[in-house]
Amino acid sequence: MADTALPMNIGAEDHARLRRRKRRRTELARHAALALITFVMVAPFYYVFLASLKNATEIFSYPPKLVPFPPYFGNYEKLLWDTGFLRWMFNSLFVAGSVTTLKIFLDSMAGYALAKIEMTGKRVIFMAMLILLMVPIGALIVPLWSLVSGLGLIDSYWALILPPLANPLGAILMRQFILGLPKDLESAARLDGLSELGIYWRIVLPLIKPGLVVLAVIIFTDQFMSFIWPLIATTSDDLQVLTVGVAALRAHGGANYGIWSASAVMSLIPVGVFFFVLQRQFLARSLAGALKQ
Amino acid sequence: MSNAEQRLAPAIELIEVGKSYGKVHVLAGINLTIGAGEFIALLGPSGCGKSTLLKLIAGLEELSDGEIYVGGRLANYLKPSDRDVAMVFQNYALYPHMTVRENLGFPLKMSGIPRDTVRQKVESAASLLQLGAQLDRYPDELSGGQRQRVALGRAIVREPLAFLMDEPLSNLDALLRVEMRTELIRLHKRVGRTTIYVTHDQVEAMTMASRIVLMHKGVIQQVGTPAEVYATPANTFVATFVGSPPMNLFAGRIESQGAARLFRGPFDLALDRLAPPSLADGAATIGIRPEQVRLVGAGEVGAMPARVELIERVGPDSFVLTQVAAGANVIARIDAARPIREGDRVFVLLPPAQLRLFDAEGNRVPTEGS
Amino acid sequence: MATAELANGVTRLRLSPGEHRRLARRARLRRELTGWMFLGPMFSFFLVFLVLPVCGTAWWSSRAGSIFGGTKFVGLDNFTSLPGVVGAGSAIANTMIFAGISVPLILVGALAVALLLAKIVHGGAVYRFLVYFPVLVPGVVAALIWLFLTNVDFGLFNTVLKAFGAMPVTWLGADHALVVLAILDVWRNVGYWAMFFVAAIIGLPTELYQAAELDGASPFARFRHLTLPLMRRIIFFAVIVSTIWGLQVFDTALVLTNGGPGTATTTVIYRVWLFVFASNNKIGTAAAISLVLIVAILALTLVQMRVLRSRRGIE
Repeated sequence: MADTALPMNIGAEDHARLRRRKRRRTELARHAALALITFVMVAPFYYVFLASLKNATEIFSYPPKLVPFPPYFGNYEKLLWDTGFLRWMFNSLFVAGSVTTLKIFLDSMAGYALAKIEMTGKRVIFMAMLILLMVPIGALIVPLWSLVSGLGLIDSYWALILPPLANPLGAILMRQFILGLPKDLESAARLDGLSELGIYWRIVLPLIKPGLVVLAVIIFTDQFMSFIWPLIATTSDDLQVLTVGVAALRAHGGANYGIWSASAVMSLIPVGVFFFVLQRQFLARSLAGALKQ
Repeated sequence: MSNAEQRLAPAIELIEVGKSYGKVHVLAGINLTIGAGEFIALLGPSGCGKSTLLKLIAGLEELSDGEIYVGGRLANYLKPSDRDVAMVFQNYALYPHMTVRENLGFPLKMSGIPRDTVRQKVESAASLLQLGAQLDRYPDELSGGQRQRVALGRAIVREPLAFLMDEPLSNLDALLRVEMRTELIRLHKRVGRTTIYVTHDQVEAMTMASRIVLMHKGVIQQVGTPAEVYATPANTFVATFVGSPPMNLFAGRIESQGAARLFRGPFDLALDRLAPPSLADGAATIGIRPEQVRLVGAGEVGAMPARVELIERVGPDSFVLTQVAAGANVIARIDAARPIREGDRVFVLLPPAQLRLFDAEGNRVPTEGS
Repeated sequence: MATAELANGVTRLRLSPGEHRRLARRARLRRELTGWMFLGPMFSFFLVFLVLPVCGTAWWSSRAGSIFGGTKFVGLDNFTSLPGVVGAGSAIANTMIFAGISVPLILVGALAVALLLAKIVHGGAVYRFLVYFPVLVPGVVAALIWLFLTNVDFGLFNTVLKAFGAMPVTWLGADHALVVLAILDVWRNVGYWAMFFVAAIIGLPTELYQAAELDGASPFARFRHLTLPLMRRIIFFAVIVSTIWGLQVFDTALVLTNGGPGTATTTVIYRVWLFVFASNNKIGTAAAISLVLIVAILALTLVQMRVLRSRRGIE
């Protein structure tokens, strides 16, 4: 590793060359470090993927085969035909999709009111939303279960779809986005004869579309990954969501590593595809938090 | 109201209009009548309340006090779109997700006008403003001047009772601004609709308006034609706000010496019959416009010795800053061809007939012949 | 009716203050109604499924019995007897140790990755994708994956150890289980905060760094005296939020170790779940623990709001 101090008795061109070489070396070092880190992050996936294509004996063999050949598809067959995996996947997608769609409208309307309409107690309501923002459903399972059960909705899609609608993150985000729109647009729209609903539908909504996409991504992923509430809210087999079903695989039926690995791989497909297609919006999720500061 | 009455009715009337935010009074005691077809400029420094007044007329803000009549109807609690006024915003406020054509047609579409009529009106407005080629473009593809014209067009298609314009030209560069100014004047001559134009630029107001409303700290200072506010300003604020460079003002006292009245300040000036008997002795201010000040020979009556401090050459004229006494500078306008240099000793004459007199509160005292 | 005589001879009606008030109130009511039509739906869900349950937790914590059967009022007994309840104390301790391990590791790791990523010129997108990927893995799936890493016989960790000639480790044994759980959480969350920090770092003013470089500051010095202070608020925010998330750990604990061995990885929410559904007289205790958790989260939230509200510019 070269000394960081540049010798004093060489010409300008040599200075520049040395500096460039140093820069390239640091860049290389960075790449090396990042490559190592990402390898560590991603290696487990490949390991499990390998296991999913091995039969029971192959999994336990040492040293482990790095390339399973011939690939064993029995795990996947058992997963897809003998368990409710496909049903679980459908349920997760259905619930996540429904919650996302509903929240897009509920939250953008709420955000519009919070941003643009004078109401008594608006400040209090907004404060309440900010304060309770971080309280998770997991901390509320006692009264929530009792409530949903009392409403007779336990073990139904309603039980899975309605409670997540309470999360104030969407309304808060939408409020910020809508506040960022130029104020004169609203004035112009009013003069042009638009009602409040018209302004919301024709002017605000089209203009916050990027924000809506980010919100949809956040809500969909959160719902897809939620576990504890679906766990206690549903008991029937055909209402289980993916996370609960996969956990059940672990809990019952002994240590069937084959099926487990297959289920892990299959679970990652929808999110993986989704993420690949919408990369920018996913990363905007973290950026949105940073912007809030 | 019958059609005949409506045609004769003034376009907009403001009666004792006031607006406050909590304890802060932004506007107070505004009384104004604007006739049909007038071009009124609301002129004043930033913060004087002119934009707020415009928004009150438009219905974008709620009145705290008083009444507004638009087209003879009480408008206080009418929705903006029911008042039959159209507004042009400083930042154009064009809908970014609609084409020019859609922007222009939007207000008409909202009033339920049939599609063919909308298309007709949009096309005629576009041709009036030379926007024909831009009709299918989006606002972010247009230049500032083009956007301004679309904003104008959106107001024109509605054929409203009045146009309300909130500093529409202040976002344009100097050259474009002059160009658009002429176009607005031409448009007004052609379309003839009542226009209320808010600006802080007195040149704009003076060249465009048939009447100017000067505002300061939420109160109307003077209402008059450009000539009136220039020649006979109602108070020292108007005197200094209108006209560039501003009127020369000198604070001092008026004293009586027997029958003669004298102004004593940084210099002494005989007032002859200028000061009316109604004006008592006391603090006062006199003013005179730079073009009225004369640089004369030593011998003339009333000439005061002065030293040239600064010369501003602005083309055909030069503005000469002379120091008459300690702390008293007189700005005079002279022909640029006249030979004069900084440091020269000259003689300054303030012709009494051109003097304007202001009392202790700064209000102008009408003098003989003015 | 008052009237005003105008300059042009026209007489106009003037409204009395009473009429003004009436009409103004009507306009305001109309606006409020519209507002509630927009805010109402979401706010109702917020009230019913968030605010109400928060109060409900407090109510349930004052009762004893089962969630299925009857309960009776016991006042603050559930809280006073909490330290003595088997499993309650260990759950809280476990959760705090867990957070104490995972949060610092997550943030330090995320900062390191972010510093590297922020300066990368080419190919950053690939790294970003790969580093962020574990964030999107549902907890149960992540735990399943880690079962494959930590398995004593064929797990990746032990395979690597064996390749280096070291002894295999019982990763999920009583001594290590909680730590392994924490590392799992680090693996899952580093990517999220790394992206967060990257956005913040990119937003830092480069002139300051150029000035520091001219002043002869080494990269480490620049980090210590420039980056860290500038990022103080962001880092503080990250600490609070990741701690709040850390306190909620449940799904990974369930799938990886079933809360064990014994109660080594039984966390707060896990314990609450057990009390509610796996016993029939602990509902009050469960609610009491839940309330403690909620209060802790609210306290952290309020601290964060308070500290971050003071604006002191760039320090």
